Amino acid sequence: MSNGLYVQLLYLAVGGLLLSSVLVLWRRELSAIVRLLIVQGTLMAVVALLLAIERDSIELVVVAAEVVALKALLIPGILRRVLRDSAEARETEPLINVTASILTAAVLTLVAYGISRPLVRLAPSIETQAVPVGFAMVLIGFFVLVTRRRALSQIVGFLLLDNGIATTAFLLTGGVPGVVELAVSLDVLLIVLVLQVLAARVRLTFGGTDIDELRDLHD
Amino acid sequence: MTPGAMAGVLLQVVLLIAVAPYVVGVMRQVRARLEGRAGAGIGQPWRDLRKQLAKEAISPEGSSWVFTAAPVVLLASTLVIAAVGPFISTASPLDRVADLFAVVALLLLGTVALALAGLDTGTAFGGMGASREITVAALAEPTILLVGFALSARVDSSNLAAIVDRIQDNPAQVLSPASVLAAVALAVVVVAEAGRLPVDNPSTHLELTMIHEAMVLEYSGRDLATIELAAALRLTVLLGLWANLFLPWGVATSASPSALGIGAAVFVGKVAILAVALATAEVFMAKLRLFRVPELLAGSFLFGVLAVSSSFFLA
Amino acid sequence: MNLVAQALLGGTVFALAGAVGAALTGPRVRAVVAGVSTSVCGAGGLLAGIALVDGQTYSATVPGLLPLGTAAVAGDALSGVFVALVGAVAVIAGIYSIGYTSPGSPLDHGPGSGAGSRTVQAVLPLFVTTMVWVPIAGNVTTFLVLWELMALTSLVLVLAEHRARPQVRTAAAWYASMTHAGFVAILLALVLFSSQVGGDSFAALRVGAAELPTTLRSLIFLLALVGFGSKAGIVPLHVWLPRAHPEAPSHVSALMSAAMVTLGLYGILRVGFDLLGGGQRWWWVLVLAAGAVSALYGVLQASVAVDLKRLLGYSTTENMGLIFMGVGAAGIFAADGDRPLATLLLAASVLHAINHTGFKTLLFLGAGSVLRSTGLRNLDSLGGLVSRMPITTALFGVGALAAAALPPGNGFVSEWLLLQGLIHSLPAAGSPSVLIAVAMPLAVGVVALTAGLGVATFVKAFGVGFLARPRSMAAGNAIESPVSMRAAMALAATGCAALAIVPAIVGPTLNRVAATFPTVCDGAPLQGGVTLQLTRIAGSMSPLLILCGLFAAALVIVVTLRIAGRGLPRRKALVWGCGGTRLDPRMEYTATSFAEPLTRVFDDVLAPEQDIDVTHHAESRYLIESVQYRQKVADRVEVALYPPLLGAATGWGRLAGRMQNGSVHRYLAFGLVGLIIVLVVVGVTS
Repeated sequence: MSNGLYVQLLYLAVGGLLLSSVLVLWRRELSAIVRLLIVQGTLMAVVALLLAIERDSIELVVVAAEVVALKALLIPGILRRVLRDSAEARETEPLINVTASILTAAVLTLVAYGISRPLVRLAPSIETQAVPVGFAMVLIGFFVLVTRRRALSQIVGFLLLDNGIATTAFLLTGGVPGVVELAVSLDVLLIVLVLQVLAARVRLTFGGTDIDELRDLHD
Repeated sequence: MTPGAMAGVLLQVVLLIAVAPYVVGVMRQVRARLEGRAGAGIGQPWRDLRKQLAKEAISPEGSSWVFTAAPVVLLASTLVIAAVGPFISTASPLDRVADLFAVVALLLLGTVALALAGLDTGTAFGGMGASREITVAALAEPTILLVGFALSARVDSSNLAAIVDRIQDNPAQVLSPASVLAAVALAVVVVAEAGRLPVDNPSTHLELTMIHEAMVLEYSGRDLATIELAAALRLTVLLGLWANLFLPWGVATSASPSALGIGAAVFVGKVAILAVALATAEVFMAKLRLFRVPELLAGSFLFGVLAVSSSFFLA
Repeated sequence: MNLVAQALLGGTVFALAGAVGAALTGPRVRAVVAGVSTSVCGAGGLLAGIALVDGQTYSATVPGLLPLGTAAVAGDALSGVFVALVGAVAVIAGIYSIGYTSPGSPLDHGPGSGAGSRTVQAVLPLFVTTMVWVPIAGNVTTFLVLWELMALTSLVLVLAEHRARPQVRTAAAWYASMTHAGFVAILLALVLFSSQVGGDSFAALRVGAAELPTTLRSLIFLLALVGFGSKAGIVPLHVWLPRAHPEAPSHVSALMSAAMVTLGLYGILRVGFDLLGGGQRWWWVLVLAAGAVSALYGVLQASVAVDLKRLLGYSTTENMGLIFMGVGAAGIFAADGDRPLATLLLAASVLHAINHTGFKTLLFLGAGSVLRSTGLRNLDSLGGLVSRMPITTALFGVGALAAAALPPGNGFVSEWLLLQGLIHSLPAAGSPSVLIAVAMPLAVGVVALTAGLGVATFVKAFGVGFLARPRSMAAGNAIESPVSMRAAMALAATGCAALAIVPAIVGPTLNRVAATFPTVCDGAPLQGGVTLQLTRIAGSMSPLLILCGLFAAALVIVVTLRIAGRGLPRRKALVWGCGGTRLDPRMEYTATSFAEPLTRVFDDVLAPEQDIDVTHHAESRYLIESVQYRQKVADRVEVALYPPLLGAATGWGRLAGRMQNGSVHRYLAFGLVGLIIVLVVVGVTS
């Protein structure tokens, strides 16, 4: 693969990652958000594959396969099941309205760019140039955690955050070793499962998963 | 200004005027066919214009010169854009007259003229249309200027011809994230400014949804013809600008007759393709609620910001 | 004695004579005397300002004139621009005031009240005189004395109509406290500065500034920013502006909003760029941020305001915000060493200040013309003036076009320049610094949103206020204003048009102003006659050719329509009434309804209070007799920020009150304790 094409494809994939994170903020339908997560997982696998081809690394191909299996298939599949069982198809009222969320995302992206400058300067390369995107995904994921009410959106925020960390790791170090990546991803899977069970229990007990109502539990 | 260059400018303006109603016609026809109707043919807008031009104009009682002047200002501002923009050639001697920001401001001038006319009629419809149109225009402004920022920062010039020339010289830039993001952002704004779905529905007369049509409800005869022509021309100009800023191939770089001829043909082709694409997309789209339009525009603003920032962090 | 001195002193003598004359004559003569002397004083300022910009200098010292020290004046090109601006506004406002304050208008509430009263008419020329002299002041003492005189005279003028409307007094109280708080900040800054440098004159400060420690310089700058920012109406110190400007008589509003606030900019430029010589980068980041917040907040409030003069007041905050953004960006680039870009941004700011002065004068005078004729400031009750006051309407339209920053208005030219400066902040290759990479896109976004909302604001002001049919009896009975008012507005409109069509006429002025800051600016930013060209930046635009193009296109269209229409005449007919009903003016869109979508979009920022009362019929609750809707958009910054401050001040006052019980012995004891403390402090420190 020629260098120019590699760069172009890598940046397009990374741009797509950022785009899908932002679109999570815009869409209200939870099913659409899950679809976006599938897109994001696939794009991450594409990034891993591109790196694998560029570096002739078999290990990275394995990582890419792991990413597809977990982030594009398994976890979204679980989320779909949660969604099917619940009556809540939409994120009705985020704490900050959608327009403001999108504008905040714009600011967060700029902040991510600002804070990642020192890292990029440490080892300037084609891959590290794109590291701000990973940071932006982490920040946007956090933002989703902070502002969304539904338990499912919380899981989505958490996943965004994890995807951001993984993307940063890919871009900075050319991918964490496969075993570590697998372990981390399984952790995430476990958390998703736990959250799913928790959300189901909450719904059973309170009839909805608006986590603001959990405040009543504090004493 | 050489006679050749003059001829180029004149050709561009005449071509745009001639093509504009056909663009609307093509869009309506595509839509009709996709919806299973026969359609009136792509020449119908021109036939409508000819019919309206021969009819008398009616001003509502209580309206003033603003109502009479607005169509003229709207069309004149659009014609100026048609004359200065790099639609078929970047060698236009008028390019230095107005850069990207001046073109944007001229578009806004036309919008304002029509909004004032809407208010001048003194009807609730006119005021409603004016209020909505201005709100959408105001919120679209940040996106346009940020896209302008993204496009002109690396070229170090906001002159349209310079931007088009630069991208023609570096075709690889077309697929750069900055360019793609800017294209998406500007596409949203083009749709909003031209009053197409999902922001405004040009074929509705339902008070809950209409924006542009509500402002021009009181116009008739030759006034209406002027406005219809201007609206079509604005759509063509916006589509043409979008096409040439992001897919600049085929734009003439000299004022020679052959280059201008090729430029004109390529321009017509590009606009036709975009019109068909836009019409096809519209068939599958519902109009957004008015108060979700700001979300759409905020989204396009975000794309603009990303376009600017990725132009330096992913370059 | 050179031309500058002659013009200034001549104008001042005229103004003083006018003040005495106005105090001694009857109402009709008084209006003419005050107006003419104000205009002559302004003309003197204009002439002096032009001479200063043209390269003449003027400096003089008069020892012993002021009680605390020497009076000194020193003028350069920077002073010249602001003196000329103040002078130009004064010429126009003076002519206008002749008609505006002459007896017989609906605003006239009998002898001794309002804008035509003896005190107000006598103070008007004095106010203008102090404003003309402020930028000429050559040392700290003179500057402070003139600044305070300017504040006091303007306060008297704001209070003009306090008998007719009680809310004038509240507005004046706000104005007085804010302007004095600002004065304290400026006083502290300049006194600190001169005490550390060991000299009083600006020349000494300029030389000594380099030796001062950085923290001290920063402190001086911050204090100056607070003081001058409050005069310029920068958020959150703007609260006096949308109160005082609407309540003052309209020609005074014009003087305050177009000329006096600009002196806040003068102060920042003088202290920041000239005396302190540029300074730290973070100062200017602060200025940029304050400007951005002011621009957005000002235009948002203006876009939902229904009081025409309040709207214009908020628009002043908006425009000063844009100007401060340009100044802030200029300072940042100067600190980064990119001086040509700093020069361009500074030129854009000063040009916008000049343009703003032009169109804001015109707009306030237009609003005054409406107010005098109808007694109304509320846009919701106006309308239909286009046929009743055609000249005022057309001239207000010129100002609105400029304020909306649309071509071919003058506001567009300076906003275009500002955008060019911001956009070329990114280097053509390589990575910019983080601050610039983050701040500049946001700044462009802010300028753009401000421009967009500004358009909405002035479409509302012009479209709802002047077009369509009158929404009230008073608006329906409007008649055109007296000839002097129309002449003044026409003069302002001519100035705006000249600036719009050939902005190159102020090019040399801007270049000279830039040359007064050798540590900040470099080179001449603007070139070209018909087409505006920038140094180093390949952007160009020609307002004149755009206008010609618009005219040519309009001509072609009109002729074509005539031919195609075969002479069919235009017909007047009833508007479509949705099948049968005749539309009456109550069905028209109002300013409130026009701004409703924006109010809703920016609900989180504006937090409007809405109130709907539905009254049902006595027979059945399914039938509605009437619906009342009220909406009030309060100034959120004021509501959130000031009550705690005022509360704290009151608390302190109470505490202080406890210290006194009326016993003379206690007061004497305080004196003794104070004396001992001072002596101990002096003994310990020396």
